[in-house]
Amino acid sequence: MATILRLKDIGKVWHIERTKEEVMALGGISLDVEQGEFLILVGPSGCGKSTLLQIVAGLEEPGSGMLEVTRAADGQKQTGMVFQEYALFPWRTVLQNIVFGPEARSVPKAQREADAQKLIDLIHLRGFEHRYPHELSGGMRQRVALARALANDPAILLFDEPLASLDAQTRKVLQVELVRIWQETKRTFIYVTHALEEAVLLGDRVVLFTARPGRIKEIVPVRLPRPRSITGRREAELLEYLSERIREEVDRSLKAEGLT
Amino acid sequence: MWRRYRPLRIISPVAFLVIWEGVVRLGEVNQLIIPAPASVLRTMIDLTIDGRLPWAIIASLNRVLQGFIYGSLLGIVLGLLVGWFRAVEDAVDPLVAATYPIPKSALFPLFMLWFGLGETSKVITILIGVLFLVLINTVTGVKAIDPVLLKAARDLGANQRQIFTKVVIPGALPNIFTGLRLGAGMALILVFITELEATKAGLGFLLWESYQLLLVKQVFSCTIAFGILGILSSWMLQWLERAVCPWKRV
Repeated sequence: MATILRLKDIGKVWHIERTKEEVMALGGISLDVEQGEFLILVGPSGCGKSTLLQIVAGLEEPGSGMLEVTRAADGQKQTGMVFQEYALFPWRTVLQNIVFGPEARSVPKAQREADAQKLIDLIHLRGFEHRYPHELSGGMRQRVALARALANDPAILLFDEPLASLDAQTRKVLQVELVRIWQETKRTFIYVTHALEEAVLLGDRVVLFTARPGRIKEIVPVRLPRPRSITGRREAELLEYLSERIREEVDRSLKAEGLT
Repeated sequence: MWRRYRPLRIISPVAFLVIWEGVVRLGEVNQLIIPAPASVLRTMIDLTIDGRLPWAIIASLNRVLQGFIYGSLLGIVLGLLVGWFRAVEDAVDPLVAATYPIPKSALFPLFMLWFGLGETSKVITILIGVLFLVLINTVTGVKAIDPVLLKAARDLGANQRQIFTKVVIPGALPNIFTGLRLGAGMALILVFITELEATKAGLGFLLWESYQLLLVKQVFSCTIAFGILGILSSWMLQWLERAVCPWKRV
């Protein structure tokens, strides 16, 4: 398979102005992301996985290291982000939110709205085009956020704990939806989560991060057929393995903070 | 049913007026100081028929509208720039911080010296009062925009100009309207104060003249007219906000 994104020794240090401290968030991440894969990033909180996502999105500068993205022919932006807090524009309707990117690129109105209709069908929100975000449930808002990111036609979709603020039922529904949309759109998904269950259900590969400073502890391939079920035997085994590995890191970071 | 109609909301003010009318008619209070509601209404009708009240309202509204419109526009434009551009903030903020605490009415004498005794000094006093309130609330509105929205806009490919027009301006609108509502109240206060001096026209002038002649019913009439202007301005702003911010239910 072709590599779509290559990270070489990406590091990031935060300078805390008030205390003059330097916190190493990422300690050298090297990783090849394959075209079309569903890649999961998990690790203890504060391990820098979200920071890495922001760097890939171009929203943060990497402190050190190199980032190579296989460019699209038209030079269009290659990534699109879905945020945990949805980040929908409250003053725009569902349709207006989805066309934000194409509108910024001056795609003609008729065309961008026709494209948006296709995305609205993809996320099953037909009939809600003219609702405002506050008139939607959390699950619907996150679908709109996904459609808005897809409207720019990026090769790589970045997810920053997209289901973390949803209730358990909605989360299950959206996990299934995400896999379906990933299969239909054939995009590369890079997905940050702290829910190991999601890693097992969604991922082709799971990248385990160490506690701060975040480094790659292990890359676990998930060779399980889809659709997966969290109650399946092999899924349960993998979940058990991942929790064990994460627990080591959490313990290590607690020890480092002198909490045990 | 009770919850929806809440009849006390009508009964209470009506009862208040009835009791007031009754107490005055029974001769419990001096009619020269507190006239009965019915006689005030009579006076208002007389003042309307002889044209004094409508003309006074028109003269005051003219000053209020000019001051409010120019002050709001300036306040919104300046507020957006101060809120968004660090350099503009650094240049303007100290000036605002130093002049904001001055009661705007206290600037009126200076403005009369500088701009003459005509309409200009009155309009500028109102303009300044409105400007500060709209400016400060607009700045707050820009700063209150959720940073994740700016991030999302950037991620979706918006350039700096597009972020300003498509995120900063709509994001600040709710606070801008807060500023406009406060500004409208301020404009009415200031028009009254500026009409105490150097004019023979306006609601403030009529009220003050009536007081000096001890025409208490006329004083009441003007006070009520001011109140009605206040209510109308707040209704109009509410209507405007509904039209401009349909995503907010106000």
